[in-house]
Amino acid sequence: MKKIVGIVVALIVVVALGAAGWMYLGRNPMAFAGGSTVALQDYQASSVTGVPAQLAKADLVTRGEYLTHAADCQACHSAPGSAPFTGGFALTTPFGTIYSTNITPDKQTGIGNYTDAQFLAVMHRGIRADGEHLYPAMPYASYTYMTDGDVLAIKVYLFTLAPQHAPARKDQLSWPFNHRSLLTLWDVVFNPDTRFRPNTGESPQWNRGAYLAETMGHCGECHTPRNIAFALDNHSKFAGAVTAGWRAYNITSDRDSGIGGWSDQDLYQYLSTGHANGHGGAAGPMGEASDDSLSYLVPNDVHALVTYLRSVPAEKSDLPRTVTAPAPASYKQGVVAGFDPRGEKIFAGACASCHDWTGVSPVTGYATLTGVRAVNDPNATNVAQAVIHGVNRQTDAGKIFMPAFGQGLSDDDIAAVANYVTARFGAKGAHLTSQDVANLRKQAPQQSNSRETPNG
Amino acid sequence: MFTLTINGQAREVDVSADMPLLWVLRDHLNLVGTKYGCGVAQCGVCTVHVGGKPVRSCQLAVGDVGTRAVVTIEGVGATPNGARVQQAWIEAAVPQCGYCQAGQIMSATALLDGNPHPDDADIDAAMAGNLCRCGTYIRIRRAIKNAAAGGA
Repeated sequence: MKKIVGIVVALIVVVALGAAGWMYLGRNPMAFAGGSTVALQDYQASSVTGVPAQLAKADLVTRGEYLTHAADCQACHSAPGSAPFTGGFALTTPFGTIYSTNITPDKQTGIGNYTDAQFLAVMHRGIRADGEHLYPAMPYASYTYMTDGDVLAIKVYLFTLAPQHAPARKDQLSWPFNHRSLLTLWDVVFNPDTRFRPNTGESPQWNRGAYLAETMGHCGECHTPRNIAFALDNHSKFAGAVTAGWRAYNITSDRDSGIGGWSDQDLYQYLSTGHANGHGGAAGPMGEASDDSLSYLVPNDVHALVTYLRSVPAEKSDLPRTVTAPAPASYKQGVVAGFDPRGEKIFAGACASCHDWTGVSPVTGYATLTGVRAVNDPNATNVAQAVIHGVNRQTDAGKIFMPAFGQGLSDDDIAAVANYVTARFGAKGAHLTSQDVANLRKQAPQQSNSRETPNG
Repeated sequence: MFTLTINGQAREVDVSADMPLLWVLRDHLNLVGTKYGCGVAQCGVCTVHVGGKPVRSCQLAVGDVGTRAVVTIEGVGATPNGARVQQAWIEAAVPQCGYCQAGQIMSATALLDGNPHPDDADIDAAMAGNLCRCGTYIRIRRAIKNAAAGGA
């Protein structure tokens, strides 16, 4: 008997260690490339960190501003209706709600008293000035790869902002997650606390892309699935995940589920403008990433991102191949039997005038649904979110606008129209229920900042 | 500077590319038959034809019109279906307050251009995006059917 218990315990220990090891091995986002890496100071090829060559001679504030955009601090550290960088943005997690904080240089409520060493600690190790651990909702496990010089350039830029008095909002987390001390263990396992090491087997452009994607842009924080400890599982790197109620798509090089079928030009256009012809546009959190961060990158940096993304191994996920042919011109054709006819009625009244029955918009390419990943997602997550929250982006190319229907349509209506849209224009119709829509609303409580802004 | 073809005429306008076509029509070309309603493409009163399709001009940036011909309520009567629809509208006394009617006539004409004999479901699908606060929907449907019958 004792022997059996001993064997069972040993097995449990082996499995637990194996699982822990597996999770631990998944923490390096650049491990997929293999090859050998060197410390940054030993890398001779070219500068892959910091600002691009165009800005090399710029003053520190300008360089810090570029890096602040590249690291996209603004998207999470700004709440709708408040001044940028004053925090208060709600990040919904399965454990409760965490609020971002004020990173203007206000001495009472912001980071005005942070020393360089304290700022480095918060960015590299997730430890704030009072010694408490941050939750990894702050992507310090990505920022940890950032050079000291880049971190401090960001600090210099943030310290030029006008100080704003904005006290932190209290997090609402369930037990035991409301105990920050637990994060000490998480950090030991999942935060490598190491700086970026260029890969000598890859091109300088690839290394620049890796630095921008992994360190600055922290793409994986949304696009990589998480393990049971809520750390990124890079075994499925960039294979897509649902974050805060929106689906971050598979951006591996898989031809069907990922972006393997996109041309370099498509990727370049999408990353630099938040829209690619034939593939649709960014909305929700990716719309913010585009408008607050990616659209500020110089062309060389966007090309570097494309090079890096292309190298990520294909990972097939549940997304089917995107339908690239328009739907029939008549509402009578192209309908899948068995769908709630209410979806068609809502589409006729609220959607068809801009999106057309074919899905090819007569108004603007931004409203074309044909070929768009969201309508080809059988979960219809982002279709439902776009209907609820609308789209309201200000870009260099002008305003991109879709009204928010979250207040005007019921959960039943939104489910019906999302199911209809995915069936008509996508590969496979969704089967959302009103309860699904209610859950999606809860997961993205703060993105309804698409106020109705009629022209004039 | 944009050169637009409006109701068969070339018109030059010096406006920014992101100005909605509705603004160009009303404020720069004095074509005020097209009305402003909701401003978010949800009511249909600003409907004009662009490249033969009914489009909400409040959401169409003038820079996106390109070479597509624009027809407004001022010019639609010069087209065969437009003339029939307007005649049917008069005979059925469709309008009540009238504010939405320019948009209704533009959508109805575009419907007949693509489908000369629409049934009730066709009319609903094509006209659902044009709201009428006076509730003239019954007369709108009848007038469209009369116009279709007149077209043979």
